[in-house]
Amino acid sequence: MMREQRNVIVWPSLLAAALVAAACSDQTNLNMAPHRPSFWGGVEECPTGKWTGGGRMDPPNPDFDDGATGTSTLEGKVTFGFNVFLGSDGDGRCIVTKGEIEVNHHPSHTSWHVSIHNGQDAYGETVFAELIDPDASGRGACLLVGVDPITARVDGNKGTDQVQMELCDNDRGAPQNSRTDAMRWISTGYGDTDLTYLTGGNIVDHGS
Amino acid sequence: MNSMRMHWVNCLAAFGLVVGLTAGFMGASVAQSVAGQAYSTYVNTPAASSGQAPLAVLPAVSGTDGAEADAQGSALSVPDALSSDFLNSITSGEIGTTESGAQSTASAAHINILNGLITADEVIANVMSRSTASGAASNADGSTFQNLVVAGVPVTWGDDVVAPNTNMDLPGVGYVVLNEQIPSGDGVTSSGMTVNMIHVYLQSAGGLLGGATTTGEIIVGSASSSVGP
Repeated sequence: MMREQRNVIVWPSLLAAALVAAACSDQTNLNMAPHRPSFWGGVEECPTGKWTGGGRMDPPNPDFDDGATGTSTLEGKVTFGFNVFLGSDGDGRCIVTKGEIEVNHHPSHTSWHVSIHNGQDAYGETVFAELIDPDASGRGACLLVGVDPITARVDGNKGTDQVQMELCDNDRGAPQNSRTDAMRWISTGYGDTDLTYLTGGNIVDHGS
Repeated sequence: MNSMRMHWVNCLAAFGLVVGLTAGFMGASVAQSVAGQAYSTYVNTPAASSGQAPLAVLPAVSGTDGAEADAQGSALSVPDALSSDFLNSITSGEIGTTESGAQSTASAAHINILNGLITADEVIANVMSRSTASGAASNADGSTFQNLVVAGVPVTWGDDVVAPNTNMDLPGVGYVVLNEQIPSGDGVTSSGMTVNMIHVYLQSAGGLLGGATTTGEIIVGSASSSVGP
């Protein structure tokens, strides 16, 4: 802890010294050509990153701004928690490299759990992911986990279900409730919550 | 002459930029520690006891990382004290460059406390704590009781909230605090919240100066989260 606080002070100080020294030196040869990062090429790469969150939602309560359809076939209290890490497979496609997802639908007393290791769920299926609308719209970003549906354990080991999850971090780094986060849970066996604003909790895209 | 003036302008501009950047770094720092835990039930009475269950505790998170933990129980029965089912506990937390936080949820269904003295179809405890450049905050949004009845008195109809720290007497038994909220932190660099949806304090007469003494407790639906420097 102390080391991290010290780093916060030490690094800006070193940066300060370096910048001031450079600006005050007798430099005469400035290169005014535009400088672009080495990966510049106009092609968006699969971002590495981490998403974590949890809380409660009560569909129907659609987040239309981020693509809700307005139709919930899985309604009522849902609680959840998750932690997923993004990366790329050998072909450059976005995948979840590791993660845990727990979702409970209270009216039906149903629980789902997905464990992801080395890019695959517990049944050997690759967990593809897609970052949706990562633009500068100010509406935050959404993540779809399970572009191809993945397999979840249902109620412990009583069965399996094909599922997909969409997460929207709508208030990234801004004060809480600047805009409420949203979540969607699609279950082949039980229905679709639609993209639903959280009643409580938080979804965080906390970078790489 | 112009070249000399430009040199000092550059120098001053760089100094100003550095001061601004440094202030930005200092002001934009977010929490470097997060914690969370959740459990559905806890019983500690003179006649019976049952530990916090099912218990989910957030693993240590360091650097820029995240974690999740969850636990489930199909049913729990402590004779003459508590019965419940569909028990679920979840906690997650993350440390990021612009935002850190933790969030926890605990739930229990078909709750029967002290042989029907308190009943509810379901309770959900839900808390979150969050730290950004604008400060730290916590809340218990999403914490509700479904069809709660205390000593024969309906408290909620359907799924509804109860005001934080609502205290009700349980004659001959003690008292219960509903939606018990325990905040912590300074709201700037740290913040935390524990919510116990049903917290029964068992009491007996005959304490010091004739007051009541607490002899046991029963908790249903407990969730905690915190962020710190």
